[in-house]
Amino acid sequence: MDLSIFLQLLISGILLGGIYAMSSIGLTLIFGVMKIVNFAHGEFLMLAMYFSFFLHHLFKLDPYVSIIIVAPALFIIGIILYKTIIRYTIGKPILTQIFVTLGISIVIENLALLFFSGDFKAVTLDYLQVPFFLGPFDSIGIGEIIINPGRLIAFITGLLISGAFYLFLKFSYTGKIIRATAQDRTTALLMGINIDRVYMLTFAIGLLLVGIAGCLMIPIFTVHPFVGFEFVLIMFVVVVLGGLGSIVGAVAAGLFIGVVEVFSSFIIGPDSKQAIYFIIFIILLIIRPSGLFGIKGEEELERIEAID
Amino acid sequence: MKQLIKNIRNSSHLPFVCFFLAAAVLPLFVENDFYLDGFILIFIWASFSSAWNIIAGFTGMVSLGHNALFGIGAYSSTILLIRYGISPWFGLLIGGTLAAAVGVLIGVICFRLRSHYFALATLAFGEVIFILAMNFADITGGAEGIALPIEPDIWNMSFQGKLPYVYSGLILLMIVTIVSSKIKQSKLGYFLIAFKENEDAARMLGVNTGRARLTAMAISSFLAAVTGSFYAQYIVFIDPSSVCRIQLSIQAALFAIVGGIGTVFGPIVGAVIFVPITIALRAVLGSTMPGLHLIIYGFILIVVLLYMPQGILGAAKNKLFRISNN
Repeated sequence: MDLSIFLQLLISGILLGGIYAMSSIGLTLIFGVMKIVNFAHGEFLMLAMYFSFFLHHLFKLDPYVSIIIVAPALFIIGIILYKTIIRYTIGKPILTQIFVTLGISIVIENLALLFFSGDFKAVTLDYLQVPFFLGPFDSIGIGEIIINPGRLIAFITGLLISGAFYLFLKFSYTGKIIRATAQDRTTALLMGINIDRVYMLTFAIGLLLVGIAGCLMIPIFTVHPFVGFEFVLIMFVVVVLGGLGSIVGAVAAGLFIGVVEVFSSFIIGPDSKQAIYFIIFIILLIIRPSGLFGIKGEEELERIEAID
Repeated sequence: MKQLIKNIRNSSHLPFVCFFLAAAVLPLFVENDFYLDGFILIFIWASFSSAWNIIAGFTGMVSLGHNALFGIGAYSSTILLIRYGISPWFGLLIGGTLAAAVGVLIGVICFRLRSHYFALATLAFGEVIFILAMNFADITGGAEGIALPIEPDIWNMSFQGKLPYVYSGLILLMIVTIVSSKIKQSKLGYFLIAFKENEDAARMLGVNTGRARLTAMAISSFLAAVTGSFYAQYIVFIDPSSVCRIQLSIQAALFAIVGGIGTVFGPIVGAVIFVPITIALRAVLGSTMPGLHLIIYGFILIVVLLYMPQGILGAAKNKLFRISNN
């Protein structure tokens, strides 16, 4: 492989991976704290993309600006869903958690089909249409490298928000409470932490993060009612590879999966690229199920008790 | 004879003996193909849901990859028939065996993980099979699918009219139900329940939970694949999205959960309720409101899981138990 092609693929892969990382953080957070695999996470991404699309379509609002409306909207949806449904699945058998979140995803997906129709919708922004070029660097034999501006914006914003969120978890009081609850629910409870509130906040923040991701993605990807399922499969691979519950792991695994996807669609063809990362996923489960950054033994979950 | 009658009367299986009798007699009086089609689909989806229930309901390991096992069955018998002229009667056994081997392989890889990972791993596995079926177009016909020959020929498991399908479907469902009920009452069934309730305690008592679950997985996979073969023979056209979609696994789960997960007859109750509703809603709203029935099903799934987690049969049993105790 030519060096410039290699670099081109690597950069495209990293940009794509940043987007995957960004959209997976909420999922891994919700799992890490609440021990719930949110199968509806892709549908929330889809909702965010639709919100952003319609704000642009109806009010000519720039998708990047629409974050200030879409992210709080998703946060509120998170609180409502937690209060009405999710709260009652905590500590329940895994079957209940899986199929309640799957039930939510089926409802949202088909509501979208009913109201928004099955058509593919996209936002095209004029100022993103001109790609810019790196190079050429003739001295080291590398030609021009094309960079898609929309992906670059999504990548940079995604990384900044991931970083900010990491610092929030690490240093803020609320962040410390969330981490304490994730580490040891009972002790946190004994220290007077309101677990129910922490779970609500965690779920809502998870949705807020995916809301931001949706706004960053709508200028790049088309949205349709089934887009959530496509992305949630990638998100699952990313969060398990990174170690369920690990934010740093999700970012690293997101970048890795992005690079793998771009290279495998270049080498094998775009049709089988998905098969590649699912096979990586299965091999991973055989070798190191706790993921790259997970704590060993974490895959063997303890049960946590129901609220009340 | 008196004893036999007494046994039947005391048995909790009585409603289901009645169900199978009704299912055997009723189709004889139905002339409309549309309704017969409903019978066949009830039998097929109840069988598939029961097969899923053997692993997910009895052991608590939630499989989201049974669609792939169904697809393996459908593709095996179809490809063997079309390419090599092997009768589907053997094809379904070969497909079933292949699926059982695959099921055991999944089990060996994933059973040491707790259920979250098992669900995700089986989901990934199902997607791999779906993608393979889409992309190996030389063998599977890809997205265009494969049409099966339709000249009636018993050797090719292809019949004239709908009635023979009704009765083969009924026999399939009876076999699946009997297997499921035998497992539940056997030592294996108790091992599985012991594992589901408390894995550590079961191990302490010397239960080989690994082997018990592998056996259950093999049986469940075999039955899922056989159902897939029969479905292909009935529909006479298969493509990846009709026999390998994840929605098939979710549907199997829906029927079992609403009917009563972990019970032998729950999946049948679920199929009897949902298949006719689906057919009716599709006929009435199909073109104007696509997906409306799925919105309703999603709500039902959530409500049942939160407020009636044992499903209809579980709730009914509790009620009967209370009455008999009073």
